[in-house]
Amino acid sequence: MRALSIASTGMMAQQTNVEVIANNLANMNTTGYKEQRAEFQDLLYQNVEQAGAQTSDSGTVLPTGIQLGAGVRTAAVSRIMTQGDLSSTSKPYDLAIQGSGYFHITMPDGTDAYTRAGNFGLSPEGQIVTDKGYTVAPGISVPSTALSVSVNAQGQVQATIPGQTAAQTLGQLELVRFPNEGGLAAQGDNLYTETTSSGSAQAGVPGSAGYGTIQQGYLETANVNPVEEITSLITAQRAYEMNSKVVTAADDMMQTTSHMGGS
Amino acid sequence: MDNTLLVSLSQQLASYRSMDVIANNIANINTPAYKRESVKFEEYVQQTKPAEGETGTQNISFVQDKGTARDLTQGAATHTGNQFDFAINGPGYFTIKTPDGDRYTRNGHFTLDSSGRIATEDGNTLQGDGGDVTITSDDGDIHVAKDGTITGAHGQLGQLKLVNFANEAALQKQGASLYSTDQQPTAVASPQIEQGNLEESNVQPVLEISHMLEVLRAYQTTANLTQTQEDLERSAIDKLGAAPN
Repeated sequence: MRALSIASTGMMAQQTNVEVIANNLANMNTTGYKEQRAEFQDLLYQNVEQAGAQTSDSGTVLPTGIQLGAGVRTAAVSRIMTQGDLSSTSKPYDLAIQGSGYFHITMPDGTDAYTRAGNFGLSPEGQIVTDKGYTVAPGISVPSTALSVSVNAQGQVQATIPGQTAAQTLGQLELVRFPNEGGLAAQGDNLYTETTSSGSAQAGVPGSAGYGTIQQGYLETANVNPVEEITSLITAQRAYEMNSKVVTAADDMMQTTSHMGGS
Repeated sequence: MDNTLLVSLSQQLASYRSMDVIANNIANINTPAYKRESVKFEEYVQQTKPAEGETGTQNISFVQDKGTARDLTQGAATHTGNQFDFAINGPGYFTIKTPDGDRYTRNGHFTLDSSGRIATEDGNTLQGDGGDVTITSDDGDIHVAKDGTITGAHGQLGQLKLVNFANEAALQKQGASLYSTDQQPTAVASPQIEQGNLEESNVQPVLEISHMLEVLRAYQTTANLTQTQEDLERSAIDKLGAAPN
């Protein structure tokens, strides 16, 4: 009986759906988190009776055939890359990207990672690093004598040094873009890495065409909308229940069959 | 006398298939733009010899499932906010280029592939009026107008085309929300595309669940009928086969 396996594909799909929603809700307060969504597609069809098959010598054809579906599958868990709200923190090394682009992070093993979570700090050597201590490319060092550090919208990092009237430029932060942001692989710790489907990273100066600008003293909040998530959760749970009802009904039918001709 | 069993059998086989179709509808309740299907039954009439002491011919009706009908009504649109989600409001299908030729879909969930073309999750590209639609990262956020015109930061990038067919019901489902057909597509005169929305499936939970119970009960009733018929035969054999006193 096919109904059983079809309903089980439905239950598995809804389970994935609930897992994705749970992860979104769990990351509601994660800086720079981007909401995910499970995408579903119908499975293959078996043609039992072909539409358009001839039904007589005079050329009449079947207007519709019989196609039996095999259920549903999760095609992808895609990320929705809309901008999150900016919340003010007033901390000098909290940087938010307004618009598109990612900060470029150099991992301890020398590989590249990308993030939108701009909750940075200083390393013991005075370099701007992530909260895990990974260097924010290109690696800007802030002298310990600096009174204050400012980062402008174009990503220029400047420091006020005692005894100098003009601010000293320490370096230039760069942003990175991808042909297909949705194809980035999430690595945990708010970091993403490049994949073949994301395309290769294109670096640029913040504020130039196509790149976002930098807001110092702000953090980008997650773009998760709790109301939307809860609504999706209810829908997913009901859909799961309905699929389980189909399992019960299919089971009842088989039970009836096995009791036929008994006694 | 076996006819009762055979008629019951025809109904039971048809019930099994209805159940499969209902299960598929419910499994796809959250699949964008999925169209619900229902089984169409037909009566198959066979003429047999009249029973003893009767005249004329007697007809026996079997049940047969002759086709699945697709409900083509539009599903509700839900807002997703994703710039590559397009819902079709009204008639029409998107054209998707696959390695096996053109396919058609109403599932408007797209993404970009590694070369920046608008594609499905399986990597098959969406066709605009001039073939593939490529978005470069310089184009920034794109805007799709109701008529399908795609605009980026540096102007127009192309236009999405919607097509329709003379006989929509004859489109074959291919899985992965795609349809195939031999029919020639014709362009939809005034397409209505809603960016940031997705068309939901048109599966009505209440309808499917009540339909499912109906099929289940009909199946059980027929099974009871088979049982009764068997009891009847058994007692007939007992009675007629008993040694006369």
